[in-house]
Amino acid sequence: MAINDELYDAIVFGERDDVVEIVQEAVDHGEDIVELLNVTMIPALREVGKQFSSGEVFVPEMLVSARAMQGGIDIIEPLLARSGHQPIAKICIGSVAGDLHDIGKNLVAIMLKGSGFEVDDLGVDCRIDDFEAAVQRGAQVVCLSALLSTTRDAMRPVAEHFRSRNEVKVVVGGAVITQEFADDIGADGFGFDASDAVRAVRESLGLAAIAA
Amino acid sequence: MMTPRECFHAAMNHEQPDRLLIDMGKHIGSIHRHAYVRLKNYLGDASMVNENNILDRMAQTVVPDESLLQRLDIDFRWIVPHWVQVTERDDVPGYIDMWGVPYKAREDWDHCVVDGSPLRQATLENIDDFQWPDPRDPEQFKGLRETAKRLFEDTDYVIGADAIKAGVLMNSLQMRGYDQFFMDLVIDKPFAAALMDKILWTLKEMWSRYLDAVGPYVQLVYLTDDLGSQTSLLISPRLFREMIMPRMKELHDHIKGLADVKLMFHTDGAVLPLIDDFLEMNVDILNPVQTSVTGLEDTFALKESFGDRLCFHGAIDVQQLLPNASTEQLEHEIALRIYDLGRNGGYILAPCHNIGHDIPPQNVITLFEKAREFGRDPAALKKIVATGTPYFDRHRADD
Repeated sequence: MAINDELYDAIVFGERDDVVEIVQEAVDHGEDIVELLNVTMIPALREVGKQFSSGEVFVPEMLVSARAMQGGIDIIEPLLARSGHQPIAKICIGSVAGDLHDIGKNLVAIMLKGSGFEVDDLGVDCRIDDFEAAVQRGAQVVCLSALLSTTRDAMRPVAEHFRSRNEVKVVVGGAVITQEFADDIGADGFGFDASDAVRAVRESLGLAAIAA
Repeated sequence: MMTPRECFHAAMNHEQPDRLLIDMGKHIGSIHRHAYVRLKNYLGDASMVNENNILDRMAQTVVPDESLLQRLDIDFRWIVPHWVQVTERDDVPGYIDMWGVPYKAREDWDHCVVDGSPLRQATLENIDDFQWPDPRDPEQFKGLRETAKRLFEDTDYVIGADAIKAGVLMNSLQMRGYDQFFMDLVIDKPFAAALMDKILWTLKEMWSRYLDAVGPYVQLVYLTDDLGSQTSLLISPRLFREMIMPRMKELHDHIKGLADVKLMFHTDGAVLPLIDDFLEMNVDILNPVQTSVTGLEDTFALKESFGDRLCFHGAIDVQQLLPNASTEQLEHEIALRIYDLGRNGGYILAPCHNIGHDIPPQNVITLFEKAREFGRDPAALKKIVATGTPYFDRHRADD
């Protein structure tokens, strides 16, 4: 199946009404929606993430694109579930204990969802128990976010909690987080920004990073 | 020997003052109350009693005691507007500010965070129905004229009008919800414009009353907003110039029409691409020059590019440097920033943000003592700067 240029552009430029119309039409015509998702929709949002990382677009445009993408996902999600389509992996994400900042975390969740992951968004001020419960529900990657240097140390016990369990990966990010800190607490990955977080999650699972 | 106020005038004219200006104690530039207690214990200074005198309720910073300001040889004294039209929450620990934005306290009131957006469901038609703050509230600036007059007449300090801590972008984001207002800027411009205009009008009214009280006595005013993240701008330069900048400029022009003051503008983040715009917006001093973000690490280049037109306030990092640096690393960084930014005036040294409780007291003391020592002759620091590795270079090398 070839890429649907019209749908691709509608997501990149954040035209939600167009996305809804095109996706609904595809569904009505019995097109392969898994293909539509994988060949057009996910690459379109990935393009937005790439433009965000390179400074061509900013948070407002990324949010508008994510909103447009969501308009399409809302239509196909029930159909995907019915057809037995599997997400790439299930991940959970939350701001660590004591950290109530969530805009960066929300952006990462949007990018992961738009990249084909099932995302269990745990919100803010999450404790070890919250992450453990999400892992019990099937999360393979635990994504931790922190904005403040006063709260980033709350990442350490979470990383330690999962360290001995090879099947659970821990990926960290946020304003005050560096690769050095991620290595220090024994995290499996570090995402520099919302787009890079997708790469970090994929690599933690042993999936090849997608060529930009 | 020049007084702090004379040094300020020289520095603002890009002339070398007798000594470097040093600041601490304003909004987004004071000390968290827990850090304050640690500092007090470290110094064994019983005269420090202000740990519960909260300056910024959200950040839980204090109004520093006069004895500490004198001990650290701070050149500035800040006049602070009163919190007004604030209501306490009865559902969770926290409060609702005068803009109707609810805040929730973290455990033990460590700090508060925005916890809801009162205008999330608003439409263009009903923005005016919202209960906006009353800018005529006499309590907001009560007693400030007398304080400012006394400081002006009895001391030589630089006197600043501290922030109302509200800005057209920041308040729009908080009142509408960050994600929704960012999208409004792209997909609902009439609503975004109307909301910002209402905030702008309210702020202009407040500043008229504020400067009517303190205008003759203050040498600078401080305005806060936020335009950058750690690695980039929050919004594109094009969108900034279209939607935000005209309104910020209108507020700045209004303020400068009210009193003979320098204007200090706060924005965190990687805002290098907007500095020419700030100059067009009549900004005289940029705060905080967040040296830990993309593009602002190289303060030498910053001074070379803009130093003849813009003054700088801050540049001492609180995210990595002050919490983690050794004394030796900290001293090198202080020398570096004073050398880069302090030659030919135009620099006020200060921490980039509040001093949090992750910052050891000894680093706070080292910062202010060394700044005073090194600030006597910035050009002579070349030797120190040339030896050793800058803190952030070292940091990168470790990655």
